[in-house]
Amino acid sequence: MSLMDKMLALDQRIIFALLFLALAFPILNPVILPMDIQKYSRDSFEFADSIPAGSVVLIEGGLGAATYPQGGPGLEVQIVHLLQKDVKLVFFSISTEMAQWTVTAINNALDNLPSGVAAENGVNWVHLGYVPGGESGVAALANDIRSVKTEDHFGTPIDQIPIMANINKASDFAACFWWGGSEGSIPYGVRQIVTPFGIPMTGMCTTNEVPNYTPYINSGQMIGIIGGVRGSAEYEYLMGMPGLALGQAMATNFGGLLWGILVVLGNILYFIARREEGAD
Amino acid sequence: MSDRLIKMQIPIILTAIIGLLMIIEFFFPMPATITNLNITLRSFVTIISAAALILGTIVLTIYHGKKVGTKGSEWYYSIVYILAFAITAGLGVINVRDTTFLWIYNNMTSPIGAALYSLTAFYITSAAYRVLRARNWEGAILLVSALIVLLMLIPIGAILFPPVVPIGTWIRNIPSGAGFRGMIIGTSLGIMGLGVRVFLGRQKEHLGIREERRGSE
Repeated sequence: MSLMDKMLALDQRIIFALLFLALAFPILNPVILPMDIQKYSRDSFEFADSIPAGSVVLIEGGLGAATYPQGGPGLEVQIVHLLQKDVKLVFFSISTEMAQWTVTAINNALDNLPSGVAAENGVNWVHLGYVPGGESGVAALANDIRSVKTEDHFGTPIDQIPIMANINKASDFAACFWWGGSEGSIPYGVRQIVTPFGIPMTGMCTTNEVPNYTPYINSGQMIGIIGGVRGSAEYEYLMGMPGLALGQAMATNFGGLLWGILVVLGNILYFIARREEGAD
Repeated sequence: MSDRLIKMQIPIILTAIIGLLMIIEFFFPMPATITNLNITLRSFVTIISAAALILGTIVLTIYHGKKVGTKGSEWYYSIVYILAFAITAGLGVINVRDTTFLWIYNNMTSPIGAALYSLTAFYITSAAYRVLRARNWEGAILLVSALIVLLMLIPIGAILFPPVVPIGTWIRNIPSGAGFRGMIIGTSLGIMGLGVRVFLGRQKEHLGIREERRGSE
């Protein structure tokens, strides 16, 4: 087997090892390189920043074990952002796993909250927990929260939670933030909260899903979208709170460049091999 | 009452009436009675969905229990499932907010999920090296688009190659956006068509009719 053939049939374990090194090195030795802020991320940030103090917003926590590394840091920093602005937060999730991860995000955000910012459970925020039923569950929640939830995630009856006193349907919220991860549920928010109640919404999804939702942004049904770990990193950057996402976004620089180099190399070798075959 | 009436006609009529109630409420202001009825019906969905989770768990456990009982193929994996289920569910039933239960979730379930998802990066890179080739014009366009969008998406891409931002944004918003918009509209029209067929009783799969016929053959 010639060197060309060996390179074309490169053992995938070598590719795995190269990618591992490209991703691990910048995470272990973080270097923050300059970055360009995407328009969708900036729009999402500016929308959150424009919400008046005292407003109540709805947050769907749809990040799971697989997607939390991408979106979790962004959600955490958005919680800090909104609480700093004295915006009240009402969380819910459409899966049991994601309800638990939303607790993680809230706890991490509270740990990073500057001193003096009010963040009392039940007063400044509440986590309604798991709402079953997929899109029908979201529709039910949007029309009458108490028809689907009688207590929050921690077992407190909703009627005993101060923040919920005047909140019972989607129209009671100033905005919706849909941290959908890769669960594909962002259209639930568009169909059940934005369209019937006219509530402005931004979303978050994994990087590969951003094109799925750009039609909703172009049509004005969504304000913006946080795309993957880069979106989270941009939110951290705009907030001036460098965290996990910025380090991971730097890793995607190396991983992405390696991916591009390998693809270009594969094509160069392919054309050389094809030319050699033609010459024979 | 005939078997056909109970198994087919009443469910179809109920589906059509409830479906129409939901649709009409979405487009027109309705009296409070109808709105309240719809709220109750939607809360039924959340209750049934929660019950379906329990049903699914029971069915899965019975399946694995039978597999262990009959020593079916790879039955030992079923023991792993049953043990994992029994320990996790047992601790969850005792107290779902107990630290032992959360420890299992945070230190076993979550890392496994995250590890499985992150493996895709390795397989995608390996597959791209072997398959993403400019074998023809279509392949070349795909390759160039992929590289531009990749450079647009990695944070340093716009710093290294500034033109990738406007070109990549154009690719994402115009050709890709048009494709996705077409897909969304097509899917929505398909759902509407399916809804009309269900309301008219032309589509009976949700009643298990096809399965029954196959089973009786």
